Order: sequence, then C-alpha cells, then structure tokens
Amino acid sequence: MFDEIRKFVKKIPKGKVATYGQVAEAAGFPRGSRQVAWSLKVFDPKLPWQRVIGKAGAHRGKILLRGVSGVEQVQRLSAEGVAVNGIYVDMRRYGHIFLTLLLCSSMVGVEVDPKEEALVAKRRAYWAFQQPVRTRVPNGVHPVDFLEPAKQPALPARSLVRRVALDVTGLPPEPWMFTVGSYKDLVDRLLASPRYGERWGAKWLDIVRYADTNGFELDVEREQSWRYRDYVIRAFNGNKPYRDFVREQLAGDELYPGNAEALIATGFLRAGPRHVVGGNQDQEQNRQEDLIEMTHGVSTALLGMTMGCARCHNHKFDPILQTDYYRLQAVLAATQFREVQLADGDAMVRAERAKAEHMARLKPINDAVKELEKPYLEQFKREKRKELEPQFQAVLDLDKSTLNEEQKRMRKEAERQLNPTWDEVVALIPPDLKAKRTALRKQLHAIELDAPDEAEQAFAAYTVNEAAETHVLKVGDPKYKQQRVDAGLPLVLAPDLGNFSQEARGRRAKLANWIVSGTHPLTARVMVNRIWQFRMGRGIVATMNDFGTLGARPTNVKLLDWLATEFVGSGWDVKHIDRLILTSAAYRQQASQRRRMDADMLRDSILATSGMLNSKMYGRPVKTPIEPEVYDLIFMEGEPDNLWPLPKDRSEMYRRSVYLLNKRTVRLPLMANFDQPDTMSSCPDRSTSTSPLQSLSLTNSDFIQEQAKAFGARLTGDAVAKAYRLALFREPTAVERETAREFFKKGGTAEDFALAMLNRNDFIYIP
Amino acid sequence: MLRASAGGFGAVAAEWLMQREAMAAAKAPHFAPKAKSVIFLFMVGAPSSMDTFDPKPALKKFEGQPLPPSFGKVGGQFTDGSNPLLASPWEFKRYGKSGLPVSGLFPHLSECVDDICFVKSFYTESIVHAPAMYQVHTGRILMGWPSMGSWVTYGLGSESDNLPSYVVMPQPEGTPEGGTPCWGSGFLPAVHQGTLLRSGPSPILHLKPPAGVTPERQRRTLDLIQKMNAVDSAPGDNEMAARIASYELAFKMQTSAPEAVDISKEPEHIRKLYGIDRKTTYDFGMRCLLARRMVERGVRFVQLYSGGGPVSMQWDAHSHLKANHEKMCGLTDQPVAALLKDLKQRGLLDTTLVIWGSEFGRLPTSESGNGRDHNPHGYTMWFAGGGVKGGRSLGETDEFGLRGVGERYHMRDFHATILELLGMDQNKLWYLHNGRQEKLTDFGGTAIRGVFT
Repeated sequence: MFDEIRKFVKKIPKGKVATYGQVAEAAGFPRGSRQVAWSLKVFDPKLPWQRVIGKAGAHRGKILLRGVSGVEQVQRLSAEGVAVNGIYVDMRRYGHIFLTLLLCSSMVGVEVDPKEEALVAKRRAYWAFQQPVRTRVPNGVHPVDFLEPAKQPALPARSLVRRVALDVTGLPPEPWMFTVGSYKDLVDRLLASPRYGERWGAKWLDIVRYADTNGFELDVEREQSWRYRDYVIRAFNGNKPYRDFVREQLAGDELYPGNAEALIATGFLRAGPRHVVGGNQDQEQNRQEDLIEMTHGVSTALLGMTMGCARCHNHKFDPILQTDYYRLQAVLAATQFREVQLADGDAMVRAERAKAEHMARLKPINDAVKELEKPYLEQFKREKRKELEPQFQAVLDLDKSTLNEEQKRMRKEAERQLNPTWDEVVALIPPDLKAKRTALRKQLHAIELDAPDEAEQAFAAYTVNEAAETHVLKVGDPKYKQQRVDAGLPLVLAPDLGNFSQEARGRRAKLANWIVSGTHPLTARVMVNRIWQFRMGRGIVATMNDFGTLGARPTNVKLLDWLATEFVGSGWDVKHIDRLILTSAAYRQQASQRRRMDADMLRDSILATSGMLNSKMYGRPVKTPIEPEVYDLIFMEGEPDNLWPLPKDRSEMYRRSVYLLNKRTVRLPLMANFDQPDTMSSCPDRSTSTSPLQSLSLTNSDFIQEQAKAFGARLTGDAVAKAYRLALFREPTAVERETAREFFKKGGTAEDFALAMLNRNDFIYIP
Repeated sequence: MLRASAGGFGAVAAEWLMQREAMAAAKAPHFAPKAKSVIFLFMVGAPSSMDTFDPKPALKKFEGQPLPPSFGKVGGQFTDGSNPLLASPWEFKRYGKSGLPVSGLFPHLSECVDDICFVKSFYTESIVHAPAMYQVHTGRILMGWPSMGSWVTYGLGSESDNLPSYVVMPQPEGTPEGGTPCWGSGFLPAVHQGTLLRSGPSPILHLKPPAGVTPERQRRTLDLIQKMNAVDSAPGDNEMAARIASYELAFKMQTSAPEAVDISKEPEHIRKLYGIDRKTTYDFGMRCLLARRMVERGVRFVQLYSGGGPVSMQWDAHSHLKANHEKMCGLTDQPVAALLKDLKQRGLLDTTLVIWGSEFGRLPTSESGNGRDHNPHGYTMWFAGGGVKGGRSLGETDEFGLRGVGERYHMRDFHATILELLGMDQNKLWYLHNGRQEKLTDFGGTAIRGVFT
C-alpha cells in the first residue's frame, strides 16, 4: 500500500501540489489520508514529499508540517515555483490533478430513492457486507494453524512433495524437489516457478470463462485474444498485486493510457461468449447481451456476487436491487470492444507485406480451383435455370437495361435461385477432376499453415465519448424500458451510490478503484477464499462466486477475515497468501477425501509422465488432433475440408493444456469428460463427476494410447520400479510387485502396464 | 438389473454398485409419470408450418400480394416482410378419425395423426438459428445452458447400466448450427451431457481399444487397473468405488453398445417399415430404429437430428421451398411414421414421449421468389406417445400463418409440458449455480394441459 502511495506522490510534477486526500484517492485508498502521511516518513531522496499538503477549504491547500520540516517544505515548494501565501497554497493554480481523479471529477449529487434505501438498509448487517475483523494471532504461531488447526496427522513427506507440486505447478514433482532441505524452501521455489503462473492462469481463466472463440454457430477464433491469457499467466508469475490486476482488467485503458499490457488486460471484459452472425440484427438486443456478459464477469469474478437475478427483478434473497444491476450496466454503458494496434508503423508495414506475399502464394491455386469449377458452376446454373418457374425464366431473358422496378426485384430473386451451395457444384465434377481439385485444395491448406502473424494488437475494451442512456428493463427485455438510471455502485455497499459523474470516461476506473479500495468488504475476502479453495479443495465460503444469502456461510469467518486483512495489508500479495496456506499444518495434513485431478492437470501430468510434455510458454493457441467424430461436429455450411489444421511442428501438440485452443463449440472429449468447464459462465470450481465415458477416454483414446506407448518405452531395466517412480514417486510395495509380476507373467506388456498406471486412482487423485 | 461381474472387481465397488448413488442411477420422479423416456426428432433449419400441418388457404387467395398493412412490420433474418405472399405448393387433406389436416408432403405420417397432438402456436425469441435452437433445447437463447436431455437425466437418472442415459444422433453430413451446446450439460456435471451414438461396431467415441488389442489383452490390463485401484482405495470411499465401477461399466458398454446398435437380428418387415431398404430413407430410418432400440434398453433421452452441415442438407428453405421440403420429407416421413407405428405395436408408445419440432417456422411471405425466411412468431411442433392425447390440434396462427393468435405457447411452456409428462415438477428440478436456483423453465412455464390424455 505504502509503495503504491509513494508511486503517486512521485507523479506530482514540479510546481504542483496535491492534498493527502487526493493522493489517497488516486492511489486507490479513499479516506486513506493518514496512510499517505505515514508513507512519506521514509528517507527517499527521490520522493517529493514537499508536494503533499493538507486541505483547507474547497480551493486552498495548507502546509501542515510544523517546525523545521514545515519551513523546509515552504522553501522547497517556493524553489519549485509554487507560491506559498503564509501556509496556504492556491489549489486552483498549483493543484495537481491526478489522471484517475480527473476521470472521476465533476461529481454530481446523486439522490438515493428512500424506498430503495429502506429495502437494503436493514440487510447491510449481513456478514459479507461488514468490514472484516482481524483476529489477533499470538507471535511465533503460524496464523493459519492458530485459526484453523489441522485435524488429521501430517501427510508423509514424499506424498506431500507430490501434492504441493501438483497443486502449485499443475505438474508432477521433479526429482530435485525431494532433495530440497526444508518444506518452506520447496514452497518458495515452487512459487517462483513459471509453472505457478500457468496453473493459476488456468484457474483464473475458468473464473472469467475465457475461451479463444466467440461461441455460437460461427464460433470464430478471436484474433490475438490469447494475449490476455498470456497476460494472466505473467501477472501471476510476476506476483502482480491483485489490486493492480483488477484495475488493469477492468479499466486498464482508462487508468493506464498508453500502456500496452493494461490494454491487453481489458480483454477480461470480452472474455465471455458473443453472438456474431449476419442478417437482420436487433442491435439493441445484441448490445444488451454484451452488457449482460460484462456485468456477469465483473460481478461474479471480482465481487463474488451474483447480480444476474437482478436483471429482471430485485434480488429475492440478497439486497441487490434491479436498479443496482442497471446502475452497474450504466458504468459500462460507454464501453465498447475494439482491436487496438500495438505494433509500431514499421512492424505494421512488415506484417502487411508478409500478408500480401502470403496471399500472392495462395492466389494462383485459388484461381486454378475456380477455373476448374467454372464450367460446372455454369452447367449448374444452366440446368437450374430450366427448372425455374416460368415467370423467373422470363425475367432472366429480358434485356437488363429495360427492366422496371418489379422486374429488377424478380431478376435479383431469380439470380439468387441459381446460386448453388458448394456441394452442388462439386457433385457435378467428374472424378478425375475432383481428385485434382482435392489436391489443389490440399496444396492451399498446406500453404495456409505458413500464414504470417498479424501485427501485434490488443483484443481490448475502450471508452467511447458518448455513453448511451441506461434504463431499467422490464424482465431484462430492451424493448421494455423503464426509468433511466445513472452509473452507480450497489446501494447496499455504497450508500451514496459512489457519486459517479455524468462523464462517459472514467466510470470503469472509478468502479475498479472502488473494488480494490481496501475498504470494500468483499473483494479481498472473495480472492483469499479462491486461493484457499484452490489449495484446499473447498472454499471457506463453499460458494466462491456467491457470498450472498443463498450462498454458503463461511465455515471459519475468523480465518477468512484474517486472510482478507492480511491480503490487503501485504499489498494484495497473492503469493504471500499462497505461501501462508501451503505452509500451514491444515494443508500438510492427510486428506479426509482425496481430490481428483482436474482435466488440465490430468492431461499435463500424463504428458509429463510419458516424457512428451513440451514446456514452451505463451503464444497462439494450439490445436491437437481430434477424433473424426468430433471433427464432424464442427458446424460448417461451407466445404468442411480444413476445419482443424494441426500445427506443422508436431511437438506443439504436447504443450500444456492452458495453451490448447479452447473453442467453445468443440470440446476435446477427454477434457470434457473430466469436467473441463464449457466457458459459457464463470466456473469458480470444477465439478468432479465419474462416468464410464471417462474410463473409455482414459483407456482407448488415441491420446492415451500414444502416451502409454511413450511411457512404456521409458520403462527400461526394472520396469515396475521405474513405472512407480515416474508415475507415483515411490517404490512399489511387495504386494504391488507381486501383482505386476503376475501381469507380466500372463504376457502383459510394458505399454499396457504404463496404461494401467496412468489409470489408477493413485495417479488420478492428488495425495 | 446389474450383476456384479467377475474378474478383479473389488468388493468396494460391488457394494457401491448396490447403492449406485453417485453415478446418475434411476431416481424417483416427483409424481406419477406418463412417460419414461423421450425421443426428440429435431428438424434442423426449420420446416414451414403452413406447408406441413397448418394449412392457410388465404395464402392461395392472396398469392403474390403483400401482407395487409394491418399485420405491421415483420422481420425475418434476411427479409423485411415486404415480399409478396407465397402460396403453399402442396395440397392438404384430412386424415384419420380425427380428420386433422396434413399436407401432401407426409404420405406416411398422415396415417398416424390419431396418435399425434399438434400444437400450432409456439413462438420463440430469436430469428437466428443457433440462439433459437438453444432456446428450444435449453430454454435460453444463449449457449451454455443445460439441455433438456441433461435436465431429464439429472432429474430421473438412468434406467440403463450399460448404455449412456442420454444419446444424440446428428445428421451424418454435419452438425446443426447450434452445435454441441444443443446437447451439452452446461453447468450440470459432465455425466449428464448427451453422448453421440452412431451405428457400426464402435457406436460410442473411444468405445473400443485400437485395432490389434485383443479382448484378452484389454481384460488383462483392466484387471490390473482394478487390482491396483482396490489397493488405492480406502474402504467406504464412495468416489473411489464409483471410479472402480466406472471401469467395469465401460467394459460392459463395449459389448452392450454394439449389441444395441446391431440391427442384424431385426426382421425384414421392420427394416422395410423404417425404409432401411431404400437409399433415401436408409439413414434416418436407421437412426429412428436405433432410437427405438435405445428406448427399449432403458435409455432415457434420445435426441435425433434431421439436417445439418451444408444448407442443401437442412430444412432451411430460403429458396426452392418445394424442392427442399420434398427432399427433407422424403428422407424422414416414412422413418418417423415407422417409429410411431413400431413403438405402438410393441406397447412402447405408452411410455415413450415422441416430439417433432424445430427452432422456429417460416414466413408466409416469399424469399428469393420461391423460398421462405425464418418465422419465430408462430409455428407448429407435435407430441405423440406417453400421456399425449392423440388426434388433437391446439393453438392456431392468423389467417396467413404469420403469428400465433389466442393461446400462444412459449418454449417455457413446451418444456413445462415435457417435464410434467415425465413426472417432474418444473420448480423442483433445479440446480444451484453461481448463487441462483437455475431451472429449465427459468421463471416458470405453463404445461399445455390440452396435450395430456
């Protein structure tokens, strides 16, 4: 927090001043004036402490420091050109306006409807809306052990290494992990591993329902939206303070103008599905769907509140009003989606040139295909024309220049009737030419794999100058507009509704700053609860996305609140909370109910065990082979002959699951069977169902067969011991040796033994 | 029902199988059901109601003229309603004791009208295929909500131990526009998703080990897995036991699923009935026959698609309505009628709900001169079988078949009707998701009581 405040103090330019309160608000800690004062009490020659002064009336600042410091402050300011009149400074002239404050300026008085206030007032007492209370933890005791003592005996050391490696990195342990001196050191090294961000990234992407495609029938791949996925992984690896993480995702464009990373982060607002289709469209309905998606993302992922119910009516169980829902939509009313170029001019020219060269390679083949089809296309039209009803034939026979309006319309229709679908033309082509055509198209697709990368761009959100008016909609239907509402925060949490300005710009910035203000009762609780659930398998509040009355109550509110206050106090340090949990006895105890690996962890672990894992990080999403049955399910009205091109470099197909193309309508069966979420709504915690289809995928699919073969090939020498060491990181017991001996005696192969090892519960379940 | 099989099959799993709690075993309905299983015949791309079951003589009378201005603005996806009215190319006749009208497109199905209850005033909220498909399958125009079949198996569980409880048979040429979310389980556990089923030796994805793996070899590996798993699982650990059982069930499915799709023992007259002996009706006839065989074996929900992939293989007649509907009816009329007749002669129609429907209907005005654009304002779907009063027609559209008039039925009502026939209270069938008790019928539909016997 103090570092953050000092960052803002350093932003006050020479010749300007700002008040403690302004600095506090800009830094995201409204009402944190005192903390600003404390933060200045360090020796830092680069810190312009003199530029922070007290507030004395609407337009006046005042030197608050006394004695030597006060005198020095006046001297320093005068030297910088700030006129100090006694102890007062004219803020209209010398006041620095922080960008963040500028964005939220021109406050208007917001009137709260007394009826609405009455509806929520009493329910403000609900635990989740109260400030967390920090329990005092005695010195020298692990805070988590004090608040949530372990109930089971400790897990044996080797199993613990496997557990913590799987949990933190999503991958099985590496040999060195068993030789690290202390468990604490191991945890530190795991938290520093780049695999940490990949694991956390996948979790966060579940929460924001990220996928690489739009969804719905066309389900088009989103150009470069994967940069958001990479941003998330980097953020966790770099231990970006959660406060900044939220601010960048929600309002990176407004809060950090010109910052490419922050712009990419706003991909958060577009992570959900989006219906893009041609024909007559109800623009208002489409816009409403975008707003619903954005509101859903903000409320579930960041607030841990489900506001969806309030789209149609006041929330039945929570003090969330229908107007609250639309006030939140109004915050987003000026937000639009756009791809923003990040590349400089030279890079763009290079990309354009590469693209032109690529198209030039494709053109002759494309032309050849067209040329080949031409006679059959004409034949089709000729024959079709004969079948047309007489009036349409007649209008086609007329001289084009003599047509009247009605005839023009009919001619258009007649021409449309002559248009074939691709298969109707292909059906007319004789076999030898058809083969030639197929070969040409193959050639085409081979070249398409070389398509150059587009110039770098951000799949971003931005603010337009004019915010559309927002109305409460009867049962959520944009056709039934009710009263107009202004941007605002949920009344139950913000009795003044947040005092938003009428400006289009800055609304999201203000929302983001409020969410991470440090005094928001939900934000920190929701995030530490996610961290706890991620590591322990179950949240302290079991409904991670719903801290409302229909959600679960915390099983240990003291623990939750302590972690929440610790989180904020540590500067929103995710790794710090992770470390606290992972080093606790509660984490290190034996499991009463083991957790099954999720689909990503399972696939990645299989790849690691077989030795085929490709640890390359970042970049374009990767396609892996799909079964023909799955290929057939890709919706395509055109010719379906190149819908799933595999990468040229085969090793790409063995990348970690977080880098696989996540296409909303094409789910990989192995992953889907093991409950990979469908990315249609926020998934705070994957379910773990059990079905025979899982067993089929995990014994018979091409993927597992290939992996078992590779794993089997690693089992040289004492195959059994090796298999146990590689898959389970332990020696086989005497009984297990005997079982294995019998298996091999009956003719079992190393490959099948490997397959069995990858299927057994001890492999699939986290110790 | 289920016999514990031999071979590396732990006592833990056997005990678990007696309980069969965790794995979608049959559950009690909320009240006495009229039907136990559902076959949903979905016509992808939207057949035209005024050319199939909802005759509109006024179209003939006013052919070539625009819709009267009193009908207001009409929006399709590609036309604006200003095109002239297009008469139906087919004659309608009355059939059966009930004397219900059916167009010349259905020479076979017209023999079954006394078993069918037509509802002619359904309406839906989107003019675009995919969202409208999601609405009829899941109750929302958005993708990602649990499909009807998922809700039904979630509510009623499975009657079959050896087959998936919810199977899907798409058009071989391609998938419907809505794609896999049409049979997805959304936020319900993955076990409730629809499972693709095909004919042939490997009807379910990943059912069989790769070529070259003998049954003995596979059994040996499976026994090893089960022996290892018995060591790995503490007694009383239900989840582990369920996993052990899942391997055994998967193994059994390898024999039961190919058996279920193997029609070699079906007699000649049955194949003929479904049209499996003819090229045009082979595919859909086969899938209808498989649907019957699934229902016989306790499969709860069978989803069949007519149409998918290239536009020429869909009911989406934006032009050449006559050629398109003649083709699509040619592929499906006999098989659908055969399914109803065959279920009936086996006494299965009493407990099987058969539904015929689509995402919307088509406009009375023309597109490209001889086609029709999408019409979500009023269209026909029909029910037959378990608990359905046959020979009946409910609801109506205006004189041109543009909009439902009088009693209009929303998709929520469609779903409420189906749930009620299956013995489920739409308000008790919910799942807590992100803080809301989500239901198939969202904030509630009204069962169409006239459909019931």
